[in-house]
Amino acid sequence: MSTAALTAHDSPSDHHASQRTAVFGMTIFLASEAMLFAGLIAGYVVLRLSSPAWPPSPDLPKLPVVLTGINTVFLITSSFTYHFAEVAVKKGKKGTAWLFLTVLLGSLFLCIQGYEWYHMHHEGLWFNTGGVYGSSFFVLTGFHGLHVLIGVLMIAWALIRQLGGAYTAQSHTYLILAGMYWHFVDVVWLFLYSVLYLV
Amino acid sequence: MSTSATIFVPDAGQPSVDHGHHGHEQSFFSKYIWSLDHKMIGLQYLWTSFFFLFIGGLLAMGIRYQLAYPGVPVPLIGSLLPSTIAIDGVILPGGYNMFFTMHATVMVFLVVMPLLIGGFGNYLIPLKIGAGDMAFPTLNAMSYWLYVLSGILILASFFVGGGAAQSGWTAYAPLSSTPAYMNNTQMGQSLWCVGLFVNGLSSIAGATNYITTITNMRAPGMTMFRLPLSVWALFITAWLLILAVPVLSAAAAMLFADLNFGTTFFAAQGGQPLLWQHLFWFFGHPEVYIMILPAMGLVSEILPVFARKPIFGYKAMVWAMVAIGFLGFIVWGHHMFVSGMNLTLGAAFSVSTMIIAVPSAIKTFNWMGTVWRGSIEFTTPMLFALAFVSMFVIGGLSGIFMASTPVDLFVHNSYFIVAHIHYVLFGGSLFGAFAAIYFWYPKMFGRMMNETLGKIHFFATFIFFNLTFFPMHNLGLGGMMRRIADPTVYEHLRALQPINIFVSWAAFGMGLATFIFIWNFIWSIRHGKPAGKNPWNATTLEWTVPSPPGHGNFDVTPTVYNGPYEYSVPGMDKDYLPQNEKAPEGARLEVH
Repeated sequence: MSTAALTAHDSPSDHHASQRTAVFGMTIFLASEAMLFAGLIAGYVVLRLSSPAWPPSPDLPKLPVVLTGINTVFLITSSFTYHFAEVAVKKGKKGTAWLFLTVLLGSLFLCIQGYEWYHMHHEGLWFNTGGVYGSSFFVLTGFHGLHVLIGVLMIAWALIRQLGGAYTAQSHTYLILAGMYWHFVDVVWLFLYSVLYLV
Repeated sequence: MSTSATIFVPDAGQPSVDHGHHGHEQSFFSKYIWSLDHKMIGLQYLWTSFFFLFIGGLLAMGIRYQLAYPGVPVPLIGSLLPSTIAIDGVILPGGYNMFFTMHATVMVFLVVMPLLIGGFGNYLIPLKIGAGDMAFPTLNAMSYWLYVLSGILILASFFVGGGAAQSGWTAYAPLSSTPAYMNNTQMGQSLWCVGLFVNGLSSIAGATNYITTITNMRAPGMTMFRLPLSVWALFITAWLLILAVPVLSAAAAMLFADLNFGTTFFAAQGGQPLLWQHLFWFFGHPEVYIMILPAMGLVSEILPVFARKPIFGYKAMVWAMVAIGFLGFIVWGHHMFVSGMNLTLGAAFSVSTMIIAVPSAIKTFNWMGTVWRGSIEFTTPMLFALAFVSMFVIGGLSGIFMASTPVDLFVHNSYFIVAHIHYVLFGGSLFGAFAAIYFWYPKMFGRMMNETLGKIHFFATFIFFNLTFFPMHNLGLGGMMRRIADPTVYEHLRALQPINIFVSWAAFGMGLATFIFIWNFIWSIRHGKPAGKNPWNATTLEWTVPSPPGHGNFDVTPTVYNGPYEYSVPGMDKDYLPQNEKAPEGARLEVH
């Protein structure tokens, strides 16, 4: 463990120390985020296991596995495009095209998810219909969608700043942190897609 | 969530927070409102939690008035109460429900946590580890203001249609999740959910900061096993917050959806009311340790100073706290023995709960070992610290009774439980907080609090505390249930009513004793005896800087040579060795 004393009187803002500190803090924060989703998913698993049938009633619409599968691919791809943006910035390039692509894919994911909500609503499934089936679908995907939205906004902000060349190969802490968050949101989605749609 | 965007430190080249020179001029706004200095944020937490302590205390007085004199109009302020709480000054059963629900919510989330963790954590961590500030000062300020926002949301619920939440601080479903049970006025319970969610964001932001700061910003030589125990306690507490609070946030969000979007997570029909209890107590039991561990840590600082002896068994103290923190996550079922839980599972929870007695006893015996044959000085902080140890023993032992399923089936939801939680939460956490306030006040304000008033406050509080809460054991064993607005309705409780009246008057006495403290606290800011750097001759780093410390804390980063509890070191002239002083030749140190 580093004991880089940061009394600021004598520290000339060691950039690498401050970046390590920020990455460490983000890791701790993501641990708490993981517990948030663990709570939601655990609740869902309990509700589902104690339900005699799933969906609880045969009249309820099935969730669109294929469309969301494609959407999942978009989200996973966006993690790669983001990674390429980071790689580009580390090589001293701007990486704005990759950032733009990431924002695009993230937004596409949100739009398709939005369409899916609209579609399910049309089919008669909403927060207050279908019992825990509707409850858990909308609350879990809603929570995750909110996280994706925040991630898209964070990366869009990075894109705007990077158009002015804010991040360099030596200094791009914000990009690292936003990336950690973005990859985390993707991984959470893999769990959600598995338990909500596939199983 | 959205907090993540701010977890980032300025890039190199930019001045970080204005860690300028001591006495640097700041505007009123950046000094007192949006301050980034951990000491000011700590004081903000302290003052705000005092405000909520006052509110929570008033609610407690309301509870005790109703239990002693049900149906009698509240004198003086009765006519001011909103019609959801009282009519013509007579407290309604629903109003009484609001009182106990909000008393506990306020005390847990807006008083004890912010006071011990927000207040002392922020103030002391950087000073004790030799850092200039927290790792993320902006996040720190945000954490404070989220706490204020959560307080406003929670208090605002008194003034919405239908009034505040009435389902107890545990908000058991389906009582809490069914709008029909609230005449479709679910606004109060909804605000409760939102308030706790925001409070959780504040806790997570603070905990992220604490863990990062303690891990990365220790001064040279400050190894983990040279950390003062209060810092260890806050470190472990922060981990509990990170892992437990988000689960409450998830549960509160689900409850909010049940109330407002028509979801059925916790509904009796088509949902799982018990799921709420599992989620709530998965958070709720670690929460118990979140509230007591910081107090344990603070008291572990105070006892060695006034016994002039090293803490007994430093490493055992650390590992005991780690064990308590870990075990805290696997005992939540002991709150649910009467929920129809499988008996074998109940037995497992019973055993895991009783195992917590082992690290707790290690701590207790080590505290006793610390003061054993010390040259004890009975200052006010020492008295509160000793009271903490003894009250924690009483509360801890009654906890072991309840961990046993057959006993719990008998005392569950009775006043025995109320007695138990107040022995650990008031006798424990709050006595620890009072000890810490008297102890670190000179550091925070540069002046001593008045000893005579402090001792009067201590003895009045200690005596009235025991007169209030000890008879509650008897009430509970006599069959008095929790959360009933009028005990005289029940025939088997009528004979107990004199005890209720006695308890209430003791509680009023305890409430009045607090005014001595408030007076002492405010008066001493201007008129107390000047404290100097190190009024208690203590060893840890915060006592090596001026009182109050300047912006940036240390002129030069301190180097640490010793453990935190080198008192009465054989072979030394003075009876304490500060952590940043090299031991003289021939000194036999406790820890190397």
